[in-house]
Amino acid sequence: MPEADAIRLAQQGDASAFERLYRLHNRRVYSLCLRMVGNTAEAEDLTQEAFLQLFRKIATFRGESAFSTWLHRLAVNVVLMKLRKKSGTESSLEEITEPDEESGGPRRDFGGPDLRLSGSIDRVNLQRAVEQLPPGYKSVFVLHDVQGYEHNEIAEIMGCSIGNSKSQLHKARMRLRELLHEALRAKAREDRKAASADAGGED
Amino acid sequence: MAIIKCEVFLDHLEPWLEGERRADAQAHLRDCPRCLAIVNDLKAIQAEARTWSATETDAPERVWVSLRAQLEQEGLIRDAAAVSAHREQNQPEAKPGWLYGLFGGLPRPVLAGAYLAALIAVAFALSGPVHKRVNEAKWLEGTQIATSPLRAELNTAEQNSISSVPVANSDVSASLHRNLAIVDNYIALCEKSVHDEPQNELARDYLYEAYRQKADLLAQMSERGENIQ
Repeated sequence: MPEADAIRLAQQGDASAFERLYRLHNRRVYSLCLRMVGNTAEAEDLTQEAFLQLFRKIATFRGESAFSTWLHRLAVNVVLMKLRKKSGTESSLEEITEPDEESGGPRRDFGGPDLRLSGSIDRVNLQRAVEQLPPGYKSVFVLHDVQGYEHNEIAEIMGCSIGNSKSQLHKARMRLRELLHEALRAKAREDRKAASADAGGED
Repeated sequence: MAIIKCEVFLDHLEPWLEGERRADAQAHLRDCPRCLAIVNDLKAIQAEARTWSATETDAPERVWVSLRAQLEQEGLIRDAAAVSAHREQNQPEAKPGWLYGLFGGLPRPVLAGAYLAALIAVAFALSGPVHKRVNEAKWLEGTQIATSPLRAELNTAEQNSISSVPVANSDVSASLHRNLAIVDNYIALCEKSVHDEPQNELARDYLYEAYRQKADLLAQMSERGENIQ
């Protein structure tokens, strides 16, 4: 069943059309949630919540935007709401995307000259770093660099301007770089400690 | 050629990463190891992030099972026959929910098994938390007793429903069997949870929900079997 037919039938309450739409899109929504929260149980709950909201509102879908964009917008909102609740603050979208704006832009940490990320990044340490990003940065990074959305689509999903999307992505990447460098330095310190402990033990 | 500073280069970092090659930026990068390190780091981050999408997986099946149950509970979905009737008669929305699917009209003989299973399922649900509060031990014992006939009735209903779906229509049959297998797996998981943690009220709720979904699915199978015939 083509997506357009499934949408039309779902608007009439057809159970198989709902399932078709779910099967078409659940992978991307679940992946988005998983990358955003880093926890499978929460990602499952959020995926269910996003589709529930979608199906509750599907009668109002008029096709002004792509269906997947609309769904992603709902999913991102569900995740951001969850993250806001978790942090216990009633932050605005600007606050969660611009945590250090008072400094006038992204921090320009050039990193130690002896540390290079190339070759030292793996899935685990990048995921850890992504988890530490502010929610807004995280959304844009996952949508653009992981899921391959263009800035105009992200702007629609996030309800912001294209320029804002580009700016958030830049800040997200620079923040990730800082976090990965911090992790690399911490690991180097630990290695040195372990090496000196070994040397001490041999004496 | 104008020589640009690091700050200016960094302002144009994103276009650079997207492939834009300005001569002044290229010249800066040749002479600036710090900016070159940043570019290489960000490229490495991008490259790693891109590999993530290759390993995306579907959400576990329980998400759909649970979502569908919620949609039915809220009356947001109806089976195909109800949608068709709604369209043709242009009548106000049919009463929603899985119970309507079973009790909405007079149950035909072929639905009897699923109908009975549903009745038992409802009785099982109603005997849950209320009894538990009064007498925990009695409720636990009652749960064990209540689920055995329910499982037997569901098995009977399953046999009736499967025989009502024509083998010739392999697509429909395969789809229904696939859904049935999913629900059966879900029931097995829920039964194990209840067995492992008989005091866990949430586990019992999930088990009830799983039985209810199976009754609903069997009713649909019978219904579709009749429509096809």
